[in-house]
Amino acid sequence: MEDTRRADGRSPNQLRPFSCTGNPLHRAHGSARWAQGDTVVLAAVYGPKPGTRKGENPEKASIEVVWKPKTGQIGRQEKEYEMILKRTLQSICMLTVHPNTTTSVVLQVVGDDGSLLPCAINASCAALTFAGIPLKHLTVAIGCGVMENGTVILDTNTAEEQQLKSFAHLVFPNSRKSVDSKEPKEKDEEFERGLITSVTHGVMSEDDYFNCIERGLAASSRISDFMRKTLQKEASSVDA
Amino acid sequence: MESRRPPPSPLVDSYVVPGDVVLDLSEMTNQTIKLGTGLRQECDTIQATSAGMLRLSKPNKYWVESSQKRYIPSVEDTVLGIVVDTKPDNFVVDIKGPNLAFLPVLAFEGGTRRNIPKFEIGTLIYARVVKANSIMNPELSCMDVTGKAAEFGELKGGYVFDSSTGMSRMLLSSPTCPVLEALGKKLSFEIAVGLNGRVWVNAPAADTVILVSNAIMRSESLSGIKQRAMVENLLERLS
Repeated sequence: MEDTRRADGRSPNQLRPFSCTGNPLHRAHGSARWAQGDTVVLAAVYGPKPGTRKGENPEKASIEVVWKPKTGQIGRQEKEYEMILKRTLQSICMLTVHPNTTTSVVLQVVGDDGSLLPCAINASCAALTFAGIPLKHLTVAIGCGVMENGTVILDTNTAEEQQLKSFAHLVFPNSRKSVDSKEPKEKDEEFERGLITSVTHGVMSEDDYFNCIERGLAASSRISDFMRKTLQKEASSVDA
Repeated sequence: MESRRPPPSPLVDSYVVPGDVVLDLSEMTNQTIKLGTGLRQECDTIQATSAGMLRLSKPNKYWVESSQKRYIPSVEDTVLGIVVDTKPDNFVVDIKGPNLAFLPVLAFEGGTRRNIPKFEIGTLIYARVVKANSIMNPELSCMDVTGKAAEFGELKGGYVFDSSTGMSRMLLSSPTCPVLEALGKKLSFEIAVGLNGRVWVNAPAADTVILVSNAIMRSESLSGIKQRAMVENLLERLS
């Protein structure tokens, strides 16, 4: 395996330093500020509030996503992000617990240096947990890119995304603590956890895509542990 | 017939996040387990749906303890609600939950059609949750189980502020919460705590009200000793 160095000196599997601040906004019911290198997204959750909008199923809770870009007007790209986020969050929230309510998620892009969508998904998942919305599991999102020689790089920044032929944003469920002693932790077992969302840009071969998924899954456990520690730290700083 | 006690989950008193498997039911037969907030059953396992500390109350009651700004109504909770609308049969009350609550006009001690209380929009009410499920609007009552008024009803004057649900539980815990104990030694004030994350403070002098409210708001993330130290600090500045 050749040693590919990226433009900013990271190794292919190295992620940018990430940080998460819990509840920076006092008026929101739950909020999180997730930073991956220079990409920073602030997510705020309001809800559950009574009533659904017209056209939504009243037997389930509905999720409303508003994406605010850093500069410029709201256009099709923002609407696309809103739709992807809405579908992702709908699959992790337990919608039948509070029927006929609306939960709003508002995302504000504070800085954009690549992997914007994964950063936003991580931020909104953390914000939903802080707000106490019942979830099936957490999500871990990561951006992967495929270089010309076929190596997969993780956590792409803007420069890399512009140069690369193709890249993908993948969202996995988090690695969970289990009291089940029967299941041994094998590689196949990890693979079975599945993929929640996948957004690809550009053209990549099947093998490259599955490569991305494998690498992304391996890295997702690191992000998952980080998320767990952050949530625990926030909780203990409030209670103790 | 001998009933075997189920072995407690090894995750008790540790932090869980949504998706963590707390109990495996396939090995247990003929045992009852009670699930509180934050847990649900998924086929053969019990999984957490919210992030918090997993607690166990012997012999078999599990729940996830966490603190939020919003409130999920449950029966027999005492809450502080604000009237947002009046209807012929009910007052519509906001209790910081996913739905607005209804307070029947007759749910007061000695309430008849002739002496319906006149609550305006914005009135603060201390009430008890009588019916609460996820599908319907919760129902409140200003009487206790026996039908007496028992301190329920309108709260006049004073100052209301929001807290988290965990903070309310801490204020209502027994033995008395350190911050309230320290304040009570030097000042005299009246306080009502709603489990929905609202606190009402009243005292003859305005500066006492402000001091008590600030002390409570600041004590959320402090331990017992620090709370007492903080209160001492505030009281020194006053005198």
